[in-house]
Amino acid sequence: MTVSPHAIKAFKSAVLLGFVAFACLPLVQMTMISFIATLPTDQTEVGAFTLHNYATIMTDPNLRSAFVNSIAYVAINIAITLPVALPAAYAFSRMSFVGDKHLFLAFIAFRITPPVVLTLPVFQLFSALGIVNSVFGIALAHCLFNLPISIWILQSFISAVPREMDETAFLDGYSRSGFIRRILIPQIAPGIAVTAFFCFMFSWVEVVFARILTTTNGKPISMAINALFGFRTDIGLVMAVTVASMIPGAVLVFVMRNHLSRGFKIGRI
Amino acid sequence: MKPYDNTGWLFVLPAIMVLGVVGLIPLMTVVNYSFFEIFILESRFWIGAEWYVEIITSSRFWGSFARSALFSMLILTIQIPLGIAIALCMPQRKFWVGIALAFIALPLLVPWNMIPALWLSLLDPARSLIGDLLPALGWPADWKSSVGHTWAVIVVMDVWHWTSLIVILCYSALTTIPASHYQAAAIDAAGPWQVFRHIQLPKLRHVLLMAVLLRFMDSFMIYTEAFPINAGGPDLATLFLAVDLGEEIKAFNYGPSAARSVLYFLIIVTVAWMFTKAQNKLDAHPDRPAP
Repeated sequence: MTVSPHAIKAFKSAVLLGFVAFACLPLVQMTMISFIATLPTDQTEVGAFTLHNYATIMTDPNLRSAFVNSIAYVAINIAITLPVALPAAYAFSRMSFVGDKHLFLAFIAFRITPPVVLTLPVFQLFSALGIVNSVFGIALAHCLFNLPISIWILQSFISAVPREMDETAFLDGYSRSGFIRRILIPQIAPGIAVTAFFCFMFSWVEVVFARILTTTNGKPISMAINALFGFRTDIGLVMAVTVASMIPGAVLVFVMRNHLSRGFKIGRI
Repeated sequence: MKPYDNTGWLFVLPAIMVLGVVGLIPLMTVVNYSFFEIFILESRFWIGAEWYVEIITSSRFWGSFARSALFSMLILTIQIPLGIAIALCMPQRKFWVGIALAFIALPLLVPWNMIPALWLSLLDPARSLIGDLLPALGWPADWKSSVGHTWAVIVVMDVWHWTSLIVILCYSALTTIPASHYQAAAIDAAGPWQVFRHIQLPKLRHVLLMAVLLRFMDSFMIYTEAFPINAGGPDLATLFLAVDLGEEIKAFNYGPSAARSVLYFLIIVTVAWMFTKAQNKLDAHPDRPAP
């Protein structure tokens, strides 16, 4: 092979740029439409540049509460998932116990179960528990896929911590829970951040559980967008809400970008 | 070896309880319903395995099964190599990596019900950025009546949506390779293909297994994104397994939809089982010493 390193580098950059352009194409179009008046109003004509769509998000109480609901249920979901996943990940990483392989198989099976399979009974169960139409219901339902994936990611970070660290800590008189709280958690802090990010990512955009669990109240952004579709859909407003819904995620990605690229290895249990 | 310690169960107990409530109890309910004829939930009749027989002898079920399988195969053969290729093309400088990752992750953040809407608007000649380009590429205005074009839209849409996840997973695995491995390869005058085959690919195996599992199951059970593109048409040509189930649930056919759900769950468990087998195999015969 006598291809010059410069040519390889240029080729790689071109491929990457092409992919980024492909990834951004629908998003650019979405952003452009979000600044256009698509329904005739008193002040603007159709097709004119406007900020009115974004102003509507600020003033419409339904849309405002949808943003609050989305942030609330994702935050609750992460608050449930992380404390539950962390000890489980520790156990899978450091101990072998009766049925650990089968238990892992069961967790994987629940991660890959599509929500649509469980919609009806989840709705009935949550109605009986009185947590439909609330952000808490969605937060709990999303544990179905977020909990297994969190255990998986966290255990790969814990496995990267040398076992000698556990043993030294036990010799120093730490209990297991003391070790996890004071030594392990600070060690794997980036891993916890990456896990929380993945929980956010899978939960923020999910719609099947979000739809069945919020018929009257507690609607998240995706359902608020659904409600905008109707006889005369203001597609400009729809696109503006979508753009706005992506902003928290985009900010998180930007903050997390170095953690995401620093190398985490998702491996075996 | 990990020490044998059954107190591990105490540590996984909270996770088991949460998944019991949101996973196991609903699943048991579905299994129960699947053996009944249900008009309203209060009055139901035991009919045994009748729904199951009806489903697995219907050509509609096997049709959507075949379509879902074909779709998953297409998705995996496009997304996995593409994801690896993009991960290998990531820049060296940390600054640019951050920028590139931030842009690449954007499709993952779009609410799923908006994804078909975005692609439909991109294909709408009146509004699209590429509206003038489409006819030049031979894209017909009435693509919704063509099986091939509808499939193409759904496949491209899914590639757009999920390749980013594979890129992120692969890239983060690639960064765990120590620089000394590459230096050793340079001394041996290894070409790019040999570097990929003997250094990079072994590091990617575990993460690829996970990516294949997630992408296989999520595309096999594609639901939210597929239906709005063309409502399962033309002529049921894009009626996938989960779309079919969704229609059954919307019609409140409790019994048949429950039986269908149980069948899907059996498929899921089979796939998860094959996955753990593959994982054990990877662990048993490592190409090179474990990192």
